[in-house]
Amino acid sequence: MKTLILGVGNPILTDDSVGICVANEIEKFSLPNVEVIETSLAGISLLDYVVEYERLIIIDSIKTEKEIPGTLYKLKLEDIGTSSATSYSHGMNIRTAIELGRKLGYKIPEIIEIYAIEIEDNTTFGEECTPAVKRKIPGIVDEITKIIKSDSAPS
Amino acid sequence: MAKRITIDPITRLEGHGKIEIFLNNKGNVEKAFLQVPELRGFEKFSEGRMAEEMPRITPKICGVCPTTHHMASGKALDDLFHVTPPSPAKKIRELINSAFMAEDHTLHFFFLGGPDFVVGPQAPAGERNILGVIQKVGLDAGKKVIDIRKRLRNIITKQGGRVIHPVCNLPGGVSKGVTKEDREEYIQTGKDAVEFSKFALKAFEDIVLKNKEYVDVIVGDIYKHSTYYMGLVDENNKVNFYDGDIRVVDPEGMEFAKFKSREYLNHIAEHVEPWSYIKFPFLKGVGWKGFVDGKDSGVYRVAPLARLNASDGMATPLAQVEYEKMYDILGGKPAHRLVELLYAAERLLELAQDEEILDPNVRNIPTAVPDEGIGVVEAPRGTLYHHYKTDGNGVLTDVNLIVATVNNAASICMSIEKAAKGLIKEGKVSEGLLNMVEMAFRAYDPCLACATHSLPGHMPLEVSIRDHEANIIETIRRQ
Repeated sequence: MKTLILGVGNPILTDDSVGICVANEIEKFSLPNVEVIETSLAGISLLDYVVEYERLIIIDSIKTEKEIPGTLYKLKLEDIGTSSATSYSHGMNIRTAIELGRKLGYKIPEIIEIYAIEIEDNTTFGEECTPAVKRKIPGIVDEITKIIKSDSAPS
Repeated sequence: MAKRITIDPITRLEGHGKIEIFLNNKGNVEKAFLQVPELRGFEKFSEGRMAEEMPRITPKICGVCPTTHHMASGKALDDLFHVTPPSPAKKIRELINSAFMAEDHTLHFFFLGGPDFVVGPQAPAGERNILGVIQKVGLDAGKKVIDIRKRLRNIITKQGGRVIHPVCNLPGGVSKGVTKEDREEYIQTGKDAVEFSKFALKAFEDIVLKNKEYVDVIVGDIYKHSTYYMGLVDENNKVNFYDGDIRVVDPEGMEFAKFKSREYLNHIAEHVEPWSYIKFPFLKGVGWKGFVDGKDSGVYRVAPLARLNASDGMATPLAQVEYEKMYDILGGKPAHRLVELLYAAERLLELAQDEEILDPNVRNIPTAVPDEGIGVVEAPRGTLYHHYKTDGNGVLTDVNLIVATVNNAASICMSIEKAAKGLIKEGKVSEGLLNMVEMAFRAYDPCLACATHSLPGHMPLEVSIRDHEANIIETIRRQ
């Protein structure tokens, strides 16, 4: 299955970069049929990347402040609300962008999985994640890689 | 004690802007302001680095305007290293910048302003999004938007050297020229962008200008402010996004100041409020008189409306025609983004068709000792200042940026306050408060901590109405 892994985040805002870090680590395994792209843009720009893939895996940061930093959540697109009246132009979120793509007849991946990693700090400039999040990265990489491999294995 | 109303996107997981409205004892609006979360430590992050890194670092500050930051940073480095880029390099930079401005204004009109005016200000919130816009303008129009946006972005990617964050600007020029093959593509994109801009203006005319209700909202008093305006202008005082002098006009449109980038600190100072870490820039020559309108108040505005007001018009022919038309109908509001879209498209085409754009002489190598540099460009949301100081080896010792939204910070607070005053009377909050306050806020398209991308990636709003002891007595929430 032609798969795209999208690592989303800002590489200079501490934990905001965790999605990119994890995606880059997974890329090192050179998984068959898997491409990895890192992006700092969201919303409509995602359409530029995702068309023509069958499976899309988004890795991003999340701040619920309910779980400890480094907690991995597996979300579906439906778990994210659509953007209604957004208050600024980049307010369009992933789900709205995907729905727009489908409505316009683009070939959007059938399978979309979102992995979100609980973070501690995304408001301080820095090129490294906080220690609490950094520690968890190898485990998260393993976990997501295993899922990708097992889901891709012929049944 | 005053009552407090909070429009607070508390459900947004990483927390973005927060609108606070304070009521007096009679239940009328006393004060309103916008607070945004602080992004900490950019100066510290930058200091000690080589100045040449800045055009690659600063675009990462903002997920919306990376190209504009790259341009301001490139210009600041030219100034810092005392080197002037050759003419073809300037034209290539302006070509990239024009493509970006056209892309961003397209997105803004169809995805942001569009939901308010194309779908309608009174439409249910669930429909006031891009999907609602597509419903109204049709699938083909939607595809046009996506297509032109992608092709404009392609110019930025090809010339900028990298997807998303351009890396082409170097002190004294750019890293690569334009090939004949790419130029043909850019010319075609420019032509199509001009046609697309005309299509967008027509859609605006049909859907908005022919609807009295919308026009009334646009020209009505609720969003009106009387302030100074600022924008970059060329030698004929026409709008320019990439270069020129900074011109300021007073609320009546008379020129108040015109200065070079290097002189900005002679004209702009920053006011500090205890409740906000945003500093409020104001005109030194007038002085800070508070969050108030008028000629005696140093508050100024930037962004499309300000640019058009601060100039004597557009430098390209079709945009000039639309500029005059729009001023006749609306007194300048609010299709200025579309006039600018047309200008950006025309300028892109002009530059792509210019033979000089193929000249391989795209860089002058700097030889002077670096010390201090200032670069100013127009971002889609207004004037952007980059100011760097280094030691003699080019190591950064001081960094100051004034981004567009910060220039507008005082007037955003004033607009929110004005909208709220019209809709909250003696403690009674009108139904449309959220919509109208949001519209006031959205007109500036503020970039708030815009560099974070954590999920869910959109901004819900919540209004909490609090009694005199700050207890919440009513909550209006929008996801």
